[in-house]
Amino acid sequence: MKRIKQFISRLSQANGLWLPIAVALIWEIMSRQGDAYAYTFVSLSQIAIGFSELVTSGELLVNLAATLQTTVIGLLIGGIAGLLVGGLMAVSPTADKLIGPLYHTLRQVPLLGLIPLIALWFGNGLSSKILIVSLAAFYPVVLNTYEGMRGVEKKLIEVSSVLKLNRLQLFLKVLLPAAMPSILTGVSQALAFAWISTVGTELLFSTGPGLGGLMQIAQEASRMDIVIIGVASIGLTGLLMNAGLSRLSQHLLRWRSVR
Amino acid sequence: MIDLRVPANRFRTHALYFISPLLLLLIWAWVCRAGIFPEQILVSPAGVLETGRELWANGELPAHLHDSLLRLSWGFAIGAFLGLLFGVLMGLFKSVDSFFAPSFNAIRQVPTIAFIPMLIMIFGVEETFKIVVVAKAAFFPVTLATYDAVKGIPRTYFEVSRVYQLPTWHLITRIVLPATTPPVLTGFRLALGRSWMVLVAAELIAADSGIGQMMEMGRQMFRIDIVLVGVLVTGLIGFLLDRGLRSVEAHLGKWKYR
Repeated sequence: MKRIKQFISRLSQANGLWLPIAVALIWEIMSRQGDAYAYTFVSLSQIAIGFSELVTSGELLVNLAATLQTTVIGLLIGGIAGLLVGGLMAVSPTADKLIGPLYHTLRQVPLLGLIPLIALWFGNGLSSKILIVSLAAFYPVVLNTYEGMRGVEKKLIEVSSVLKLNRLQLFLKVLLPAAMPSILTGVSQALAFAWISTVGTELLFSTGPGLGGLMQIAQEASRMDIVIIGVASIGLTGLLMNAGLSRLSQHLLRWRSVR
Repeated sequence: MIDLRVPANRFRTHALYFISPLLLLLIWAWVCRAGIFPEQILVSPAGVLETGRELWANGELPAHLHDSLLRLSWGFAIGAFLGLLFGVLMGLFKSVDSFFAPSFNAIRQVPTIAFIPMLIMIFGVEETFKIVVVAKAAFFPVTLATYDAVKGIPRTYFEVSRVYQLPTWHLITRIVLPATTPPVLTGFRLALGRSWMVLVAAELIAADSGIGQMMEMGRQMFRIDIVLVGVLVTGLIGFLLDRGLRSVEAHLGKWKYR
């Protein structure tokens, strides 16, 4: 009896598997309905063949590395700039009043809508891609740094003025650590935006290596298998980076006495 | 005296708000007048305004806007409706949740833009593709917000409704709806912003009309003024959509602060 109950409870835990299995089955059946269907619904075996092709030729790895590189460079540039600008706005009311409105105005423009403009100004090479990805990472880091530092408890600032800390010490020793949780939230948003916009710029520029370019070329060549592999790698890599970052922020925030 | 000073201060903070954007505009105009960059690279604000007026007068801009906004409305309506339905079902019924949540979460990880090549292959480059892209972009944030909102209704509300023997209809209209409206509206706002961005991107990649296509054409013809008009218009529309939903949110969320 106990075993049967266990088996049933385990089955209901596996409920989530039914939908993907059903979709894969329908997909496979559709792929066998003739050539017209096989164009969109490539068979599962074809996807496997395409995958091994991409892996053995090294194409997948090269393109993945290129996409990752653009994301990381953009994240670094945008993140550091965002930290500086957000910090400046939090510390200096003048800077806040001057930069704040400009920031909120420029933020309204959808980033990918800037691509034609940036392409005209900077060409469609790596520098344009990095510029857009940096901007994508910049906005959330500014906002979260600013809000994190503005939200620092008054008593901490009072203590630091009692201790006669100068402005730099106040920033490095009090504001930055106190705002760290909020900043890290900003960085994780920035990572997601940077990843999305890297793929977006690669689709739109379709020059140079990258997962977006790989998918674009595959779409033009009607290679659905490669497109699907591209979608899956983008999702999976995003997931892994996100998990890595949340590990890192847990490590960085281990001094907090929360929970 | 004090009463007089408050509006003056408020005026000053409002005036301060415009300083930096105005400054940017002035620098832009000055750089153009000084002729630092050739006209193919940077067009003066007045030139952009002139092009914008021209595009509006000859009906090009209204036509593109009409197409884009129509796609946005259809796609968003479909995506948001399905999102609401799905979110409520997943929030109320554990079995639905256990069936769909893993797939839902897996697909959610992939940015909508990455699906564009795949959707083009399935639906072609016509209207269907654009509406599906927008619907997909709207579906996930709305589903998530609705799901969280339904899950977040305190159990005691349901218990009270049972004590008062409220009919199911009243349970929905008097408890579930008011309790979930604010977070769901926030989800709508997020979804609308994302839908707009994804639509512009999709139009940049493949379209024969729409604000994105106008910018892409401008880029190919090296008409930086047309591109800039497009950037300004997309920014303005994004801003207005966000503001509009924010005011709806504030209006419908009033009861919370009474």
